[in-house]
Amino acid sequence: MASYSIWIALVLGILAYLGIVLNLGPGLWLQEALVVGVITGLIVGNVHLGLVIGGTLTLMSLGMWTYGGATMPDFMTGAILGTAIGALGGGETAGLAVAIPASILMTQLDVLGRAVTTVFIHAADKYAERGDTRGVTWMHLLGQLPWGLTRMIPVFIAVWLGAGPIQHLIGVLPQWFMHGMHVTGVMLPALGFALLLNQMPLKKHWAFLLIGYILYAYLNLPIIGVALAALAGAALYLKLRGSEANAES
Amino acid sequence: MPNLDQSLDVQNTSSEVTKQDVRKAMWRHLITLQWSWNYERMQALGYMWSMIPIIKKVYPTKEEQIHAMQRHLSFYNTNPQIGSPPIFGATVALEAQKMGEAVDSLKIGLMGPFAGIGDTIQGVLIRPMVAVFAASLALAGSIVGPIMMFVLGLIWCALMIPLFYLGYRRGVGLVDEVAGGGLIATVTEWATIFGMMVVGGFVPSIMSGLTTPLKFQKTVEVAGKMTTKTIALQDTLDKILPSLFPILVVGLAFWMIRKLKLSPIWVLLTLVVVAFLTGAIGLF
Repeated sequence: MASYSIWIALVLGILAYLGIVLNLGPGLWLQEALVVGVITGLIVGNVHLGLVIGGTLTLMSLGMWTYGGATMPDFMTGAILGTAIGALGGGETAGLAVAIPASILMTQLDVLGRAVTTVFIHAADKYAERGDTRGVTWMHLLGQLPWGLTRMIPVFIAVWLGAGPIQHLIGVLPQWFMHGMHVTGVMLPALGFALLLNQMPLKKHWAFLLIGYILYAYLNLPIIGVALAALAGAALYLKLRGSEANAES
Repeated sequence: MPNLDQSLDVQNTSSEVTKQDVRKAMWRHLITLQWSWNYERMQALGYMWSMIPIIKKVYPTKEEQIHAMQRHLSFYNTNPQIGSPPIFGATVALEAQKMGEAVDSLKIGLMGPFAGIGDTIQGVLIRPMVAVFAASLALAGSIVGPIMMFVLGLIWCALMIPLFYLGYRRGVGLVDEVAGGGLIATVTEWATIFGMMVVGGFVPSIMSGLTTPLKFQKTVEVAGKMTTKTIALQDTLDKILPSLFPILVVGLAFWMIRKLKLSPIWVLLTLVVVAFLTGAIGLF
C-alpha cells in the first residue's frame, strides 16, 4: 500500500507550521492554497496535482477573508493534505475528496488555537506588572505555538499514519461517490464567486458583469483579453463620469 | 479624535530615540504582530512588544515603563498589512515625544476605519482578482499562477515598510489625509469596475467543466428513410445561453448568501449535496 516516509510527513508538517505563522506575520504567501499546493507538489513529486488542488481551493476561497479575526475554512492545510494523499494515486478526484473535508474540519482546530493563546496574554499581564520585559517577550513569541501546532500535528499524523489508510479508503469508494466528488470540484468555485459578488455593488455596476460574460462566452475572447477590456472599460467609465461632473459644476 | 498640534515635528525628537530604535520597533511589528493573537485582546500583545524598544528609551524609570506597557496591553485589532503599519508608525512618533495618552486615543480611533479600508483593498479587491487569474492559470497547468500569488505576497510585505514610515512622518495628520483626499474612493471604484467585468468573464471560463452529458435520440424521416438522430443537450443550450449551468449554480450560491443569509459553510455543504445528487442522476 502506498504511503510516505516519516520525513515527508515531517517536512509537510513544518510547511503547515510555517504557512500559518507567516500568515500571522508579514502577510499572505505561503498560506495561499495555490502556493502551498505547488510546494507540496514539489515535495511529493507531483507538481501538476498541486496546481490543480491548490487552484480549485483558491477559487473556493475567493470572497473569503478573516474579517475582524473570523475563522474560515483552512484551505492551506486542505491543499497540503489533498495534494499529498492524491499524489499516491487517484489524482485530482482523490485529492479533492481529502482536501475539501479537511479544510472544513480544520476550522474547529483554528478556533481551538485562537482560544488557547489567551493563556499567553494573561501571563504577559503578570510580567508587565513586574516590568519584566524578557517575560513579556517570551509570552509574545511563544504565542505562535498553538497556531502552528494546530496545523502541524494533523498534517504530520494524516500524512504519515493516514496516507495508506486514507488512500485505501478512497480505493474502495464506489464509482458514484468519486463522480460526485468530481462534480463537487467543478461546482464549488461558485461559492467563491457568490461571496465575491455579494461584496460588490451589483446593483450599481451589473452592466460590467454582463459585458465580461458576453466577451468570454459569446465572443470567445481569451481571459487576458477580457481583463484588458475591463481595464479600458473602467478607465473610460471614470473619465466620462469625471467630465460629466465637471460639466455640471 | 484628540486635538493635537498638527505642526508637530515628529522627525526631530528630543528624546534619545534613535533611527535604530524606530527600525527595530518596525521590524518587530511587521514580522510578529499577530503571533500571539487571541480572542481576548487580539493583536494587543504583539503591538505592545513591538513598542518596547521605544518605551525603554523614552521612559527611564521602571514605574513609567510598567505604566506604558500596561497601556499598550489594551484591546487592539486592525488589518495587519495595510491598516496597522501606518497606525503603528504614527504612534511610535507620538510615543517618542512622550505623548503617551494621545497614543491611546489615536490607536482606538484609527483601528476601526483602517481595518475596513485594509480588508476591503486586500480581501475584496486585489486578492480575489489576482487569485482568480492565478488559479485559472494553475488549473491550465501553468506554474505562473502560484508564482503570481507568491509575488503578490511579497508586494504586500514590501508595502508595509513605506506604510509604516508614512504613518511615522505624518504622525497625527494621518486620519484627515486618508479620509479627506478621496483617493481611496477613486481607487476603490476603479478596481470594482475592473473586477466586475473580469468576474463576468471568469464565471463561464473557470466553471466551463460544468456541462451535461445528456443526449436525446430522435427518429426522423429523411428522404423516405427512418434515421436516428442524436442531439446533445449541451450543444443546444450553448446556442441559446452559453455556460447556462455555471450561471445557475453561481446564482444559487449567491441567492443563498444574499437572500437566505446563509454562512459560507452552509452554502458549501449545500453545493456538495447538489453536486452529488445531480452527478448521481447523470445530469453532470
